[in-house]
Amino acid sequence: MSYGSGYGYGQQQQGGYGQAPPQQQGVDPNWLSGIFQRIDVDRSGSISGNELQAALSNGTWTPFNPETVRLMIGMFDRDNSGTINFQEFMSLWKYVTEWQNCFRSYDRDNSGSIDRNELKTALTGFGYRLSDRFYDILIKKFDRQGRGTVAFDDFVQCAVVLQTLTSSFRAFDTDQDGWIQISYEQFLTLVFSLRS
Amino acid sequence: NFRKMAYQGYGGPPGVYSSGSGYGALPAGFAPAGYSGQSYQLGLAGYSQLPTIDPQVQQWFMSVDTDRSGRITAQELQRALVNTNWTQFNEETCRLMIGMFDKDFSGTIDLYEFQALWHYIQQWKQTFDRYDNNRSGSIEGPELQQAFMTMGYNVSAQFVQTVVIKFDHYGRRSLTLDNFIQACVMLKSLTDAFRQRDTSMTGYVRMSYEEFMSLAILYKP
Repeated sequence: MSYGSGYGYGQQQQGGYGQAPPQQQGVDPNWLSGIFQRIDVDRSGSISGNELQAALSNGTWTPFNPETVRLMIGMFDRDNSGTINFQEFMSLWKYVTEWQNCFRSYDRDNSGSIDRNELKTALTGFGYRLSDRFYDILIKKFDRQGRGTVAFDDFVQCAVVLQTLTSSFRAFDTDQDGWIQISYEQFLTLVFSLRS
Repeated sequence: NFRKMAYQGYGGPPGVYSSGSGYGALPAGFAPAGYSGQSYQLGLAGYSQLPTIDPQVQQWFMSVDTDRSGRITAQELQRALVNTNWTQFNEETCRLMIGMFDKDFSGTIDLYEFQALWHYIQQWKQTFDRYDNNRSGSIEGPELQQAFMTMGYNVSAQFVQTVVIKFDHYGRRSLTLDNFIQACVMLKSLTDAFRQRDTSMTGYVRMSYEEFMSLAILYKP
């Protein structure tokens, strides 16, 4: 379903929660199990936020964005244990891989991070129609390295937040004209309930 | 720049933002210490009088403003607040605090804004202590609602529940001081932003998609 009208909501892509592009070949579960075990450093049988953070790379030699880690755990922790078991990990791994592919495809100059123009191309590709000023805000908010570019972990966070917010907006925009009437408390509640 | 603080302060004249619209104004006595009597009214042409700077505050500020730029980043703010004997605020909270003042998106604040922030934090702490009746170091839902009311925010018990769920990291259905402060920062920023747009004071704002997204992203936790 596409919302390609003037205000550009962003397309609803397959894959459910996130906007990761769909394609996926089969993956050898044994191989994946090996990866899981390497990540599960304390051999607890499931992966914690810290273990996941340590295992992920954002290409900047700094720790992976903890908010992105929390987001992902929140998405895939089906049994609400606070950790990721192997079943959950298989889905998470697939999700991360799809995002990596997506990121690489938009990092045209292979710099390892996405600059403002590449970000605009990416988000426009996802179906968003946003002003230049808005991209200023995005970079300011999500660029944790302070270089005016977005690393992989920040890129994922940005995209997921955009999608979550857009869904919230859509829920209010019953006539779909890109405008909503919102009360003080509805507005507060909406932002306060945002998961990172 | 000093002038942009004019419409930031809590203390508008009592009654301007009366509880009809649900925002509440701070009761007159709640103006941050050092600012009572100062005039921070909207957009007057000349300067109002600059507040005096507390030498201790200035010391904290300068101890982290190592390049003497007159402005500090979220990271430097984090260090400054530790120096004032607060337990460490996480960097995201510090970024949000800067966001309370940072109109030009520079990601920094100056000495006056730092002092204003410091006063807000002091006020919030006082409010927290006032409602932490059993000195447990945390406050629960009903107490939290009262605390918000005292600060002038007329919010429902349901909203307070949302806040508790959001900030309750220990599953205790209560907020520690650090979480409470973060909630206050967000509450203030969001209320100010909403209030600015609700020019006819109806308690409702008509917002475009992008405006909504901008606000939520700027002030989100």
